[in-house]
Amino acid sequence: MIFAGIDAGSRTVKVVVLDGTRRKVVASGVADQGVRQADLAGRLLDKVLKKGGLRRKDIRRIVATGYGRDAISFAGTTITEITCHAAGVREQDCDARTVIDIGGQDSKVMRLDADGAVRDFVMNDRCAAGTGRFLEVVAERLRVRLDHLGALSGRTRNPVPINSTCVVFAETEIVGLLASGTAPARIAAGVQVAMAARVAVMAGRNVTTPIVFTGGVAMVPGIARALARAIGHPIRTAEQPQLTGALGAAILAAAGE
Amino acid sequence: MRSQRSQRHAVDGPLVWFGGMVEHCLDHARARIKRGGHVVGMACEYTPRELIMAAGGVPVCLCGGDADMIPAAEEMLPSNLCPLIKSTFGYSVRRENPFLEMAELVVAETTCDGKKKMYELMAESRPVHVMELPQKPGDQDAMRHWVRELHKLKEVLEERFKKRITGSGLRKAIALMNRERGLRRDLAGLMKAEVPPITGLELLGMKSIISCIPSDLAQYRRALKVLPGRILKPSARSRTRVLLTGVPIPHGAERVVGLIENSGGLVVCQENCTGLKPILEDVDAAAPDPMLAIAGKYFHLPCSVMTRNDRRLDSLHELVRDFRPQCVVEVIWQACLTYDVESFRVKRLAGELGLPYLRIETDYSPSDSARIETRVQALFETVRGRYKS
Repeated sequence: MIFAGIDAGSRTVKVVVLDGTRRKVVASGVADQGVRQADLAGRLLDKVLKKGGLRRKDIRRIVATGYGRDAISFAGTTITEITCHAAGVREQDCDARTVIDIGGQDSKVMRLDADGAVRDFVMNDRCAAGTGRFLEVVAERLRVRLDHLGALSGRTRNPVPINSTCVVFAETEIVGLLASGTAPARIAAGVQVAMAARVAVMAGRNVTTPIVFTGGVAMVPGIARALARAIGHPIRTAEQPQLTGALGAAILAAAGE
Repeated sequence: MRSQRSQRHAVDGPLVWFGGMVEHCLDHARARIKRGGHVVGMACEYTPRELIMAAGGVPVCLCGGDADMIPAAEEMLPSNLCPLIKSTFGYSVRRENPFLEMAELVVAETTCDGKKKMYELMAESRPVHVMELPQKPGDQDAMRHWVRELHKLKEVLEERFKKRITGSGLRKAIALMNRERGLRRDLAGLMKAEVPPITGLELLGMKSIISCIPSDLAQYRRALKVLPGRILKPSARSRTRVLLTGVPIPHGAERVVGLIENSGGLVVCQENCTGLKPILEDVDAAAPDPMLAIAGKYFHLPCSVMTRNDRRLDSLHELVRDFRPQCVVEVIWQACLTYDVESFRVKRLAGELGLPYLRIETDYSPSDSARIETRVQALFETVRGRYKS
């Protein structure tokens, strides 16, 4: 039986199609988020299905997650990204006890029970520092592509401290640093340290290991290392971390049987 | 036999009544002024209403819940301040709270630094008397100081309203306030039921910013008769029972309670100042010195300004036992320092009691509603644990 998970995030939409019987991912895909979110997700779903040689009518159930989940009218159920990320991590890494998810507009830390259920979670309030949006703002300021930001920060061993805890103020701080001739690599690395510090505070003092890192930001080189340093424990980056939420949604769609 | 519709109407009568709360309070205040009464503004549950009532005063809660009042306040106050303080002050600046405009005196207190400093600015245009609230609840000197503060307030009221506050006047006010506290306690107690008959939002709406209005008391009594057995849709049984704690939720700022209840929750217990906190304990009506009895009741309030505020944790413990919530949600107004810091202890207690805990820091603007909904829904998913893979 075929199930689909759709993660309608703030920056991208992700789809995972799962063969529930064999419990294997048949196909998956990512597309940039846009204005008509339901249409966008529908087109992506059809594209992914085609890759797997399937059609819509083959799908037994669809679960939507992510901040745009309620807009996905063709999904049977919506489940929050917190529960879905936990389920996705659990599928790939069954002994995980903490999940750190950093997406486009939020970051969250989830603590799991030994049986994989979410015990509790924290999520950033009204603030974008410590999210993917922070990295986008920085990349724009430094005039580099987002996917080059990690490589850039890898060029220095001397990150500059970024003290502002707000994206808007941090941007002003970065403008000042650039004006005073600070190397972009040091700024990029400094931003990673600042982001990691924020997430570490959210995770609190008693982090249970193993820790798994998910979300689009986990694809940026260097962030996982900065996080591990800030938290004081090793961090495992999930396999295809951008898809973890959609995978979890597909798993939960199958679990609904 | 009455039709179903009129039965429904009879059951919902008290809820409908409190929907017109502000108008009723205006009518009441105007009528009292006509008969020589004095409107007195207040913005904290530590304010001893009995004293004001015994002086012929009509205490009115001024706590602002309207976001539209905030920009005017921010011309003088920092933007990074609690929205309740800003909204209250905005009403004062814009002269748009009719009760404040009627008030002959504002009885202020030092329950938080933000309010304390805001009152200084308010006092530039209105008569304000500040009571200094000591903050060590277990300390005998602190209690003596509080009693002195009550006597000072008594003198201020007597002087201003040219009326002596007598022992019998105080006892009458104590009896009246105790009656209202008792009725509201019983009403809140309906939520202990396996299948509560009203929502937390409805309960929150069933009170007035002026205490002891006779028609309100009659409606409380009526509500206690007609509400049990009322059926909620969706069914109360299918919802997650929530204990709400943290800051007060003033009239107009009920957004978070609505978000919780629209996401599948039912707020069965409100520990905060707009809920059970101020009505859990009565004033000892039989005490030989009514001033001491009043001082004692109010000094026991477990506000986060107190140190140590162990009483709040004890109270939460008991409320969890009585109301059987499945999770705890703490609401903190942005920049409310004392509740913010104390939330760590509440979270720890929730953990000890095996209850999932969610802390929501927000203000009066709806910009974070979608984010709050996601967190609340995730909390309920956690409680139900039904999505285990």
